[in-house]
Amino acid sequence: MWHENIDHANVINRTKTTMRQTLLRLPTRNSVWAFRASRPAQIASTRRSFASEASPSPEVYDVVVVGGGPVGLTLAASLGAARTTSHLKVALIEGMDLAPIRNWSPKPDYFANRIVSLIPSTVRLLKEIGAWKHIQQNRVQSYDGMQVWDGMTGARVEFDWNKLWGGKDEQTDTTIAHMVENIHLSHGLLKAIGDLAVQPTMIDKTKVERIQYGEMTGQLDMRDWPVVTLSTGQQLAARLLIGADGGNSPVRTFAGIESRGWDYDRHSMVATFKIEDDSAFPKFAYQRFLPSGPVAILPLPGNFANLAWSTTPEKVTHLKSLAPEDFVAMVNAAFRLSYTDIDYLHNLKSGVVEETKWRESVTQHPDPPQIPVRITEVLDGTRASFPLKMRHADKYIAERIALVGDAAHTIHPMAGQGLNSGIGDVYSLVKSLAEGIRHGQDVGSSFTLEPFQSERYLPNNALLGFVDKLHTLYGFESGPLVPLRSLGVEIINRDWFGLKRFLMSQAAKS
Amino acid sequence: MAASTTCLRCLRSRALPAASNRAFSVLNRPPPNYPGHVPLTGPERLFLAAGSALMSFIDPRRGDMIALLGETTAQPFFITRLRDTMLRHPTGRRILRARPRITSQSLSLPRLRSLPPNTIGATYVAWLDREGVSPDTRADVRYIDDEECAYVMQRYRECHDFYHAITGLPIVREGEIALKAFEFANTGLPMTGLSVFSALTVKADERERLLKVYLPWAVRNGMQAESVLNVYWEEELETDVGEMRERLGIEVPPDLRTARAEARRRKRDGKTTTTTATTAAAGTAPTGDETAKVETEAERAEREQLEIERKAMEILEQADKM
Amino acid sequence: MLRRSLRIGAPLLHSLEPVQRAPRLSPSNIDRAIQKFSSQNARCISTSAYRRKAEAGNSTTGSRGAVDPDELSHFNALASTWWDAQGPSRLLHLMNPMRINFAKHCLQMHPTSATADAGGGESPFSKGLRVLDVGCGGGIFSESIARLPETSHVVGLDPSEQILAVARAHAKKDPTLTGKLQYINSTIDDYPSDHQVDLLTLFEVVEHVPYPAAFLQSCMRHVRPGGWIVLSTIARTWSSWFTTKLVAEDLLRIVPRGTHDWHKYINENEMRAFFEKQPGWGAQGMLSMGCLYVPGFGWKAVKGSEHIGNYFFGVRRDMQ
Repeated sequence: MWHENIDHANVINRTKTTMRQTLLRLPTRNSVWAFRASRPAQIASTRRSFASEASPSPEVYDVVVVGGGPVGLTLAASLGAARTTSHLKVALIEGMDLAPIRNWSPKPDYFANRIVSLIPSTVRLLKEIGAWKHIQQNRVQSYDGMQVWDGMTGARVEFDWNKLWGGKDEQTDTTIAHMVENIHLSHGLLKAIGDLAVQPTMIDKTKVERIQYGEMTGQLDMRDWPVVTLSTGQQLAARLLIGADGGNSPVRTFAGIESRGWDYDRHSMVATFKIEDDSAFPKFAYQRFLPSGPVAILPLPGNFANLAWSTTPEKVTHLKSLAPEDFVAMVNAAFRLSYTDIDYLHNLKSGVVEETKWRESVTQHPDPPQIPVRITEVLDGTRASFPLKMRHADKYIAERIALVGDAAHTIHPMAGQGLNSGIGDVYSLVKSLAEGIRHGQDVGSSFTLEPFQSERYLPNNALLGFVDKLHTLYGFESGPLVPLRSLGVEIINRDWFGLKRFLMSQAAKS
Repeated sequence: MAASTTCLRCLRSRALPAASNRAFSVLNRPPPNYPGHVPLTGPERLFLAAGSALMSFIDPRRGDMIALLGETTAQPFFITRLRDTMLRHPTGRRILRARPRITSQSLSLPRLRSLPPNTIGATYVAWLDREGVSPDTRADVRYIDDEECAYVMQRYRECHDFYHAITGLPIVREGEIALKAFEFANTGLPMTGLSVFSALTVKADERERLLKVYLPWAVRNGMQAESVLNVYWEEELETDVGEMRERLGIEVPPDLRTARAEARRRKRDGKTTTTTATTAAAGTAPTGDETAKVETEAERAEREQLEIERKAMEILEQADKM
Repeated sequence: MLRRSLRIGAPLLHSLEPVQRAPRLSPSNIDRAIQKFSSQNARCISTSAYRRKAEAGNSTTGSRGAVDPDELSHFNALASTWWDAQGPSRLLHLMNPMRINFAKHCLQMHPTSATADAGGGESPFSKGLRVLDVGCGGGIFSESIARLPETSHVVGLDPSEQILAVARAHAKKDPTLTGKLQYINSTIDDYPSDHQVDLLTLFEVVEHVPYPAAFLQSCMRHVRPGGWIVLSTIARTWSSWFTTKLVAEDLLRIVPRGTHDWHKYINENEMRAFFEKQPGWGAQGMLSMGCLYVPGFGWKAVKGSEHIGNYFFGVRRDMQ
């Protein structure tokens, strides 16, 4: 009965999110933008007033990338690395200071809490653009096995190349993904950009004040060129303006492209841990689907691991408020105890260690490597969280505008595909630009950009939908879907119809 | 990485879930999970459930069969759910952690007899004394696989007499049936629900009263009340029954004794009136003999009914004692 | 043969402007169209016929002898939507990469000689490739060839001042085109320049010209030895009649009636025969490539389809 209510609530939550609502939402990494989004009507009015303003003439760029996150940096590095696009005059604008990332020097016994999982195709691109060689391999952990199970029924899928193929095949890359710290990846990308023969103009610590259309002068008609005005007063006219500027993309708002979706009322809790000695086991990624959201432990080099626990905002607040030892006990419990127990533990302000000790002694649970080894310690200051949402822009392109990464699509992180699909966008966009350049097209023209959109939109849409359905499916604590989903998992796990092989090869390819 | 993968398979066997959750054959029955535990195969469990249901039906005094039925039908789903109900409640968790047993040793019966009559302890011991049973007569749980769930079953059984005390239902047949319905709504154990089917054997007017008054009361209260498993009875012996009822959210049930007396009186009056009308219609004067005969018949009917009720009570009491 | 030419993959190049005046479609219309087709024989590219007409034309329309006034007004009507990505000229835009590819392919056949001016190299165009785009329209091809780094100068010729205004306005949107691309309102006959170019292009032009032989000969004068004429047009077949006339103009009415005169279409073998007769042409390179528009997939080069519908044709002026 109550499932229907839940469904109903979902329907209400999933009503179209208007642009205004999107703007009202708390920005995440875009908080650096002082941008005041103009609605189309406002854009029109500023354009009218623009002609009367006496403004310095903007510097003309072929490509202006707004946003210096991993996707924006990958884009700048890819444009410079590809032969056909390397002559383009590129500028990248980032609100934060890039110097700490450029000068990043890691401590050996510390890993940051923001970790990304890079699938093989992403790594291939990073190799092509010369970024992977700047990644310190001793701080990268690859894994070729995954353990995913249902928190209510225990139904489990083991994704393990070694088991599936009956041993390691030298020809096949059996890696499912590589875990790298975000800052490490950005550091490598900045170094790759530094290696480029033609350097893009990197403008950091600078906010985008506004974006307007250019003006008509005697010789030139820049009225359909976006002109970006920076907080320094500098103006850049963009033949092609690329929004790599995150979920609340000012570029997308400027283009008047709506982004639709919903908030999950879930936050993702991240943290980095020290773990017990796991050298006896292969490095696996672990994910347990609880009705409140999936909890995952991802491997890091040595005796370190990273947590990604999606749950309700209240529970995240509770997790953050716990004493370190109680928090550690809570995370260990999340992979061992029943959902009833985990739910109860969220009410305890202290004494979690005691309580979980007793519960684990009377609860039957699998042992490593089916579940992660125990974590022993949470690294100071690594507990953080961010809200989860699902968004998809109506389109990725407009005349002289393209959107990549989170600006185009925001996905639930359970599949670790957010950054990977963003980098997939970059790969496709650069390919389209190169093709356009070879045929003498304007890189900003929609004819140049169309192949990018048609190549990326449907696959991204399918991925967003799939992950969203998983979130819904595993949100049920009981009811007819619970045994059904377990049956489905059983079928996949036994590799009937070659389903498991198919899923794994797809994951490796994408 | 490559080296460690070779031992994956042997590691895996270590990681298998506990024996009792796995299918096995009678030839390789796994060791018990706790003293007295008998792991059953699926077919065995099915056979025992069907057999005990049949035996309980044929001979309702077989308390052991009713207990067996209770255990074989509670697993895997119902007892786990009851356990989770306890786990969600601080007191329930405390009980599960301490695992107290109710025996004549753990409870000082003489002390309970000295408590004021409106206390839970006094009501409980009054029930034991009237029925001539002791807390020690409860059988041990053997067929629930999970040790903790087995304890939950044991606890349910040992606390049954306290439920009488707080619901305040009288120890008559309808009251027993109503209590079983209450338990079913409150605990969800299938055996308690099956016991409610004995309502089919009562007389039509009683059944009507059950259906209209007592079963709705039982179901409503059973569902809305806090789980009775989450009461630490050992700590509540001196608590006032009414206060506990209020705490659990149980309404005072309609006064069954009054209702029964009322119904009986109405029935008798109705019969007399009918007889009078009949004789009046016949046009003859009623004689004392005839009146006496009619009264004797009514008395006999009542006596027969009381006999049936007594038999039914036996059945239900057996069920209580399982 | 007939059935085969009526199969799918219909080449449908021509402007898809919404119909202004809806023509009535009746069985008799179709009959008339079929009769027209049946009475058609192989088209002879005659020079003398053009001369006579051109001389007569000169007396009335000045220097616009090679231009059909009806054609002119038709393309004037298209001017405003020429650069609209979703507009009637979308199919032309989508075809443009293929034009570039084909032109590059032609120039690559003789890289050492064709690019001799700039010292050769891997690039298909010499540094300083000069292009004359005859019938440039809104400048779809002119702009894109001008953007290529190998190109030094492009002249777009078109007899319609109205459509050139569109082309000029659009070229102002791209600073890289400034000084590299020039539009001149002229016919090829009146084009004053004596400079010979490396590449002369005629995309979707010859089927709109009343006297193609004379027109082509006028063009040939502007190509330097070793340079190329690259053109695209439609073959005169059952299939092209079916798709460009019957379906597009009569049945679907997505193209205004009279956009095309099917009788003006020139087959690939007729084109080839014409250039084979021209002294100093084609000995060092004459090639063609057919292409089809497949809805949902875009333009595809299909071997052999030059005898069915749209095709590209390239011919080189001999070095001597």
